[in-house]
Amino acid sequence: MCPRAESPFGLISFSVQPPGENYGHPRICFFHVLFKGAALPFYILSALFVNSFVIIFVVTVLLAALDFWVVKNVSGRILVGLRWWNEIDEDGESVWKFECLDQESMARINKKDSWLFWWTLYLTAVLWIFFAIFSLVRLEADYLLVVGVCLTLSIANIVGFTKCRKDAKKQLQAFATQTLATRFQSTIQSAFSVV
Amino acid sequence: MLCIDRRGKTTFYSDRRSEDGGRRRRPKGVPKPSKTPWEEPKGLCGEDDIERREECRHCEKREGEMRRHHPAASELPIGHRRDREPHQFHPLLRTPRSPSFPSTRLHTHLLYSPTSSDLHPSNLPPPAVHKPTPVPSVIPTVPAAAAPKPPLPPPHGSTSSSGSVGVTGFGSAPNTLTEPVWHTVKRDLSRIVSNLKLVVFPNPYREDPGKALRDWDLWGPFFFIVFLGLTLSWSASVKKSEVFAVAFALLAAGAVILTLNVLLLGGHIIFFQSLSLLGYCLFPLDVGALICMLKDNVIIKVVVVAVTLAWSSWAAYPFMSTAVNPGRKALALYPVLLMYVSVGFLIIAID
Repeated sequence: MCPRAESPFGLISFSVQPPGENYGHPRICFFHVLFKGAALPFYILSALFVNSFVIIFVVTVLLAALDFWVVKNVSGRILVGLRWWNEIDEDGESVWKFECLDQESMARINKKDSWLFWWTLYLTAVLWIFFAIFSLVRLEADYLLVVGVCLTLSIANIVGFTKCRKDAKKQLQAFATQTLATRFQSTIQSAFSVV
Repeated sequence: MLCIDRRGKTTFYSDRRSEDGGRRRRPKGVPKPSKTPWEEPKGLCGEDDIERREECRHCEKREGEMRRHHPAASELPIGHRRDREPHQFHPLLRTPRSPSFPSTRLHTHLLYSPTSSDLHPSNLPPPAVHKPTPVPSVIPTVPAAAAPKPPLPPPHGSTSSSGSVGVTGFGSAPNTLTEPVWHTVKRDLSRIVSNLKLVVFPNPYREDPGKALRDWDLWGPFFFIVFLGLTLSWSASVKKSEVFAVAFALLAAGAVILTLNVLLLGGHIIFFQSLSLLGYCLFPLDVGALICMLKDNVIIKVVVVAVTLAWSSWAAYPFMSTAVNPGRKALALYPVLLMYVSVGFLIIAID
């Protein structure tokens, strides 16, 4: 399991693992990073290679939108067990729904997966903000439009998932206290019934 | 509020119903609970007399069906596909006015012991959900609490996250968290198609135009706006990038401003719903732009643009007009018309 190697400095043990092994869902993690990692370099490098702004715009925004969809519907569900969406109820009011897996499954979520999820989410938003400032300083309205759209999508995801996580934590606490209360009640009742 | 479904998964949703002071807890179509608590509930056949009800073979048959359709969890064969949930075909649930509805819901809660929830994609296909409708107002929080519940609203195609037992409408909630990716894609694509059909094409079954686009999504509008920009940019011989950027910015900003216009006029419309709607109404103009790109004759262009413009405006009219009070209808509709006319001119003028 853990091969040991002899070295002049003594016995060093190291573990050799394939790169994807610590992750719970390596393919999902890959896709989670893929579209983000494609949109940002494309935006940066396209100015050097591509002359047409239309292509830059369409491809970057398309990659950002795909990334938004993947994060919201796939990697959010599978990597951290959270999901959020909006519904319009019968009264015509919009209701934001947050959903998460139960505590048992949440405890089983791979730590590395969730670390990757949250960190890449925040990092992309920071990078897009940086690019927005850059294009604002250069007074390029076209590129500001592109960056604006991508930034909006990133921030929407961040806000949605953060709210979902907070909601989940709050409700889990409430649920825990409630189950404790009901269990307490039932033990009291059983105690009294025995007596 | 919080709910535990049959698999022991807890789902939560912000319960805004409790914040609104109890307004409209009971959706339309569900009868008021009777004032006399001891009043005998009507049977499934609608019979008031209890003796007649017991003799009613129809009711008895349904009771038998109910028993047959609810095997205990241990009786289910291994790998039993839970997509054919008995509840989905439960005869009782087809009659929305059945007062025994809540007790069966509770009954089914207790029957299924929570199986181990999994993070892996399940092999459950999603239920055929078309558009979401009423969110249930009251969900039993703990299955063991066997207090009598007020009548719950009938499910018909709801995608609420109540997480209650896999009834047709509510079955989507526990499944969507663990469904395979392909199902999510399929669900979103079918939603785009159904929204398009709902908004743009004449639909005599549309009950309430204001509420018809409840299942809004922004993918359709995104594709239509990008497509329109691309078409215009392609038709242009010079300054392609500018044309695209102008078209996109005009449409996106225009949709936002039109929505704000309706909201400031005191109308009742939801921001994203309106954006979604205005985006879908661009579909005819997309078609018109495509035709104009292929044919270069000015007269044909004018005719095509006029037709598609009329179509777009006709599609947007019912939603916008129902959102504001009648005195201000023209104020809400005129900017929409103006925006579509300007896009039409852009299509004609491009050469």
